[in-house]
Amino acid sequence: MAADAGSTPLLPCVFSPKSQQYLAVCAQDGRLRIWNTDSKTLYQEYVPSAHLSATCTCISWGPCRTVKEGPTRKKRKSEAGHVEEKSDLLAMGTAAGTVLIYSAAKGALHCTLDEGHTGAVNCVQWHPTESLLYSGSHDTNIIEWDLQTGKARSKWKADRGAVTSLCVSHDGKLLLSAAHVIKMWDLETKEVYRTFTGHSSAVTTLCFATTRPPDSNSLYFLSGAAHDRLLSVWQVRQDGKDKNSVVSFTLTDEPRHVDLVPSNSKEEAVRLAVVCKDGQLHLFEHFLNGPCKKPLSPSCTVQMSDTKDSPAPIPLLTAALAANIQTVLLAYGNHLQPVMERVEINTSERHVCLSRDVQTSLSLSIESTVSKVKTPVTSRSSVLAPGLPGHQAPVRGASQGSEKRKKDSKEISIAERLGEMDLSVVSTEKGAPKGKASLQTDNFAVLLVQGLESKDASLLNKVFQTRKENVIKKTVAQLPLAAVLPLLEEITNRLQGHPFAAILMVRWLKAVIMQHSSYLASLPDLVTQLGVLYHMIESRVKMFHKLTKLHGKLYLLSTQVATCGSSKAVTEVDQTAKLVYEEESSDEDDASGDEGLLDDDSNWEEDEVVDEAMEENEEQDDEDDRNPERTESKANGEEDMEHENESEEE
Amino acid sequence: MVGHGEIRVVHRGGSKLHFRAPTISADSCFLACASGDCVKVFSTSTEECIHHLRGHTDLVTGTLLRPSNHLQLYSCSLDGTIRLWDFTDGILIKTFVVNLPIYSMVASAKHEGVVFVVTPTHELFQLVAVQLPPSPQQQGEVLDLSAVIDDVSSNPAATAFGREGEFIASVKGSRLEVYFFRKEKSFSLKENNEKNKKNTFTCVACHPKDDCIATGHEDGKIRLWRNLNQKKEYTYLTLHWHHAAVSSLCFTPQGTNLLSGGVESVLVQWRYKQENQKDFLPRLGGAITHISVSPDGVLFCTSHSDNKITVIKNNVKVSAVIQGLVKGERVRTDLLVDPRSKVLVLNGRPGHLQFYSLQRDKLLYNLDIVQQEFIHEDGLQQFEVVHAAFNSSGNWLATVEERQQKSADVELHLKLWAFQEQTQSSWFFWQFHPDWAPHEAQVTALSFCPSADHQTTMLVSTSKDGHFKAWAAAPDAHAANADAPDHTEGPSWSCDFVGTYHGLVPERCCFSADGSLLAVSFQKVVTLWNPNSWELVTTLSQPPGTIRHLCFGRLSCSKYLLGTTSENLLCCWNLLTCTLEWSTAVETTLLLDDPRSENVAAFSFQEGNTDLFVFKPNEPRPLFSHKAVCSGRVARAVFAPREELLEACEESSQWLNLSQLYFLTPHMDLMTFTTKVEEERLMASSKPLVINDSVAETPFSLLLGKHRRQHENEERVLSGSLLQTPAHVLPSTSFLCSMFVQSLLVSVTDSRSEEMASDNEEEDSEEEMEPSSRSERAPPPTDSTAAATAVAAPALTKAELRELKRVRRLDLSWLSGVCS
Repeated sequence: MAADAGSTPLLPCVFSPKSQQYLAVCAQDGRLRIWNTDSKTLYQEYVPSAHLSATCTCISWGPCRTVKEGPTRKKRKSEAGHVEEKSDLLAMGTAAGTVLIYSAAKGALHCTLDEGHTGAVNCVQWHPTESLLYSGSHDTNIIEWDLQTGKARSKWKADRGAVTSLCVSHDGKLLLSAAHVIKMWDLETKEVYRTFTGHSSAVTTLCFATTRPPDSNSLYFLSGAAHDRLLSVWQVRQDGKDKNSVVSFTLTDEPRHVDLVPSNSKEEAVRLAVVCKDGQLHLFEHFLNGPCKKPLSPSCTVQMSDTKDSPAPIPLLTAALAANIQTVLLAYGNHLQPVMERVEINTSERHVCLSRDVQTSLSLSIESTVSKVKTPVTSRSSVLAPGLPGHQAPVRGASQGSEKRKKDSKEISIAERLGEMDLSVVSTEKGAPKGKASLQTDNFAVLLVQGLESKDASLLNKVFQTRKENVIKKTVAQLPLAAVLPLLEEITNRLQGHPFAAILMVRWLKAVIMQHSSYLASLPDLVTQLGVLYHMIESRVKMFHKLTKLHGKLYLLSTQVATCGSSKAVTEVDQTAKLVYEEESSDEDDASGDEGLLDDDSNWEEDEVVDEAMEENEEQDDEDDRNPERTESKANGEEDMEHENESEEE
Repeated sequence: MVGHGEIRVVHRGGSKLHFRAPTISADSCFLACASGDCVKVFSTSTEECIHHLRGHTDLVTGTLLRPSNHLQLYSCSLDGTIRLWDFTDGILIKTFVVNLPIYSMVASAKHEGVVFVVTPTHELFQLVAVQLPPSPQQQGEVLDLSAVIDDVSSNPAATAFGREGEFIASVKGSRLEVYFFRKEKSFSLKENNEKNKKNTFTCVACHPKDDCIATGHEDGKIRLWRNLNQKKEYTYLTLHWHHAAVSSLCFTPQGTNLLSGGVESVLVQWRYKQENQKDFLPRLGGAITHISVSPDGVLFCTSHSDNKITVIKNNVKVSAVIQGLVKGERVRTDLLVDPRSKVLVLNGRPGHLQFYSLQRDKLLYNLDIVQQEFIHEDGLQQFEVVHAAFNSSGNWLATVEERQQKSADVELHLKLWAFQEQTQSSWFFWQFHPDWAPHEAQVTALSFCPSADHQTTMLVSTSKDGHFKAWAAAPDAHAANADAPDHTEGPSWSCDFVGTYHGLVPERCCFSADGSLLAVSFQKVVTLWNPNSWELVTTLSQPPGTIRHLCFGRLSCSKYLLGTTSENLLCCWNLLTCTLEWSTAVETTLLLDDPRSENVAAFSFQEGNTDLFVFKPNEPRPLFSHKAVCSGRVARAVFAPREELLEACEESSQWLNLSQLYFLTPHMDLMTFTTKVEEERLMASSKPLVINDSVAETPFSLLLGKHRRQHENEERVLSGSLLQTPAHVLPSTSFLCSMFVQSLLVSVTDSRSEEMASDNEEEDSEEEMEPSSRSERAPPPTDSTAAATAVAAPALTKAELRELKRVRRLDLSWLSGVCS
């Protein structure tokens, strides 16, 4: 495959069958990586011993393994009941002609099948029921491996050219091989059953589309070739008159990976997902029932793009259809770090474009942190406060003005006005004459009303950044009554935000309540209108009492620490022991000789405690002796603190 | 199990993995671990379960590598049998029937064919030596029992073999007892417990080479006892690092290090004889319950109380984590199903939510909600996740965590988690500023509004402070026009409405399926609100008894509202007429609606058991009922939508077609209901694939095999024609010399092994060949591959060994020829 696929080598990339738990990718560096599609993390990495010389050319997952149930007796109600379907074995064909079988459960190579092919292995296929493996090689041969012995069971020459693709039928009786022509072999006799011609370039994809027996005229298979933007469907007819393909599907580029849900009956459609070389996914759904003249176009096309300013496409690597009709499992991005995603695709749309943020920086050695804990992303800021305007509203007022002017020129008139306003604000802050103030407040009121009506966040931000009490007061006074409630709502919204923003808003709230309390009191549904505001204030103030207490205690503590530190610097500790503790004789309670030593232990510990206590006492005494005035100051500090607390609480 | 023919209650999530210490195989590739009534064999590199060794009929209480054959494993169980397994292939070899429940088991290489088990005798536990009969039959009755020590602890950590099996040490309470096999004498030591109340022993370990016993104590101390065989002359050394009880101690096979662990979840590695040098491996998760070391000392293993086994390399780095379903003491959140990925979400480790894949029956990950270090200390109140809810599309997850201190108010955090669709990877969270709480008292319920359009997302939380609050996400105005990608902050959340009803405490809240009605229960009254205008629509009540659960009917039954009361009444109100449609007296512990169908499941508690009823609100007859689903009250359950719809024709199992019902028993076991059809399909769909093991070759063994074959040929050449060939044709003397010496060395040992092999049975000869083959390879042909040889050693097949032996015999004959 790799040799014939053209300029860019085709890298094997396969989802495990049935539950699609794993994605096996053999990337450019020759390593086999198995990704877990549930947790989207790297599950295993395996470096074949000859990964640089004999690169992996094809991968095929083996049939699902069952966990052995042992004797088939049923347990009580517990246990059993659940048969795990695990994908375990993985066959890899290499460029050197060997086939490696890797066990994903053990994380190790299971066995190597060699001394079979002389050329690169282009395709490996598992037998669906028995432990047989088929490999097609560049040396024109097909080998049937018996995995129980690890030896080739039979080997036959398929064609004059390299065998590029293989496929075993679902009942395990027929084998399709593609070289110059597509041949269908009877696996019991190893004889050619049918021959199909039509493709001019190397066939890269072969796939049985139905599970029906060949003698009912309803066995279909599908083939795709390199440099060919069509997938052909062939019918295996009973009368042998199957010269041309019956149906063809149009693609945008040559097919890379095909996943297919075969149909079991005439009433069931074949579902097909094809990933092309250009990174697009095409979904088809078709009832196979005799020939169809017109090439069929996809029922849905999926593309991926990144989230940059000028979106670039992200190539899809492979896709797998789930049992559920709408769900498709996608792998996209780079082969070294593919991203897996289960997407529900709305098939009523013909084109779906998904925008995803794919990490562009690749690290070849992927750090695998061994833990089952996912910590959420808190890269930028761990704690976000709610309230949209809250955390967007700049905390520092005037400095923001210049930045705002960089905004686009949609709302020139307001922007200009804002500009003037900013200048005047700045100038008043610098001590300019207050003559303009009246005009300014007037403007503010108008702006505020405009902002409230249009819900223009930037406009409101401008207005709300005012810190001047009298400006706020006048603005609120000039506000029409109809705008009072919207203003209150806005204030409530913003108050829920960051505390810094809330500080600004409190002034506005105060002004509103002072000016318009009579109006507010007249409202019949005041309770519901102001309920949110009220509860928020309540809950915010609730902590205040405790905080002030804590503050007071901490202050006390810090002053104490400070005084202690300064006293330590002065004092010199008397080194002579004031009291010497004499160890008592150990005859107190030795009922047996064994216990004596233990008692020593506990005694010793006690000694230590006593010593420490004494030392502490000493130190305390020292301090008390030397700094009587210090303790006084502490007491004073305490009193001060108490006082402060009270005033704060008030 | 009650005969419902096709519907069975089955376990999910597996049993405890941390019940007993795991056993690591000799080559450090596998790990065997007792789990329920089977033994699980895991791969230490891939964390994957490779075999279930099934056969025991009761709890497995211990696993042990057979000392004489490291490819076989003993397991003991409460069912009174010891079973011998080939754990690499998962085959039961032998069963020994002891007829006494076995609580733990130890063995030593010195005592061939004997295992020491702890069994109960008249209220006490006794350590008994069990002579395993060497009969070739599958099943053998054990008759030869002899008591070694009376009154031992049933804890497997309290018994250990010392110094190559010369003595056995056991601790119980404050008594240490050592039994010397040679002298057949026991030595006991009782600690005086009057002064230090917490001095009792918790575990014991013995140095493999030295006469040294390490004991762990309740107060966190480790004591190393020496010279125990001389009375009154023993000494001890105290090591103290742990602040709480030492739960497990283990020496490395060479005796260079001592490992200890406890509730702190820190693995401490002490250097033997240099005890002040310590290595630490902190933050391993739950409390360490067991430590075990592989026979070659390469891997350590710690079991943790959060149902986890950590595999640690001997450079004190974690290499793998085998994690089962985390079973805490209690689950405080409801069971949830993530609508996006269809995984089960519930409380996991403290402060985490675990995401458990039902399809694979495997834990995916734990999401750290609290984001605070968990401190392992008794009596410490820490943040716990108490409520969680997903919105209908799975983009938002709301969590409430609380910490209740004794003397202080409840500390609450409401966090909202957005799933980043564009990066597909992470949860990004949004927390209300910590300086103010969303509610003043405990939150009683949390519910997202299931609106069809994903424009506005609304969350309702009810609290014991008498309010319920509606939180709304403001539309994402800023993110739309933000050009820098790092500016996407997502929508913001703010309080939209605060509702009260006569100062009563709201208990439950529930949205109707289309999101047009919100039902909030205030003690005995159910209030219905319109979430768009926040009008109180109507009130319903059915006194006496406060409302316990509320749920709306779905689809064709959407006009019904169901509720249960504390007075054992299940009521159904018709919302069109605002009247009580029907009510029935049944003690319901849980009421649950299936999001995909009209069905409602009610778990009712009767006579110590929980029964299940599945019914449609508009039909008088239940669709399905199952008596005695489990003992105790079921408090958590969930309907998980199926990936593939089931097509069952039986009327009684139709309710399982669209979704599957999972529930948690009071013992934290996850259970579910399966139908026969489903099981048959699963059994049919997967056939075992047999691949012969003899082809299991590593690239190294291949490489070495070739090398060895060449080597043999060379030797044959040597033996045959060394004396005839001219000297100038021979390879260099240095090359020949090493080979010559090597063949000398090997042939001696080999001949002996052959003699013995010829005498013994085949099994024994295998065992003998094992060391001999190793000694053959001990002088390495090429020094650089010495390590590689050791790795490849187990891969040698029997045939190869025989071949090698034959070659050696040739060598010997040649040697004798030279000597003569």
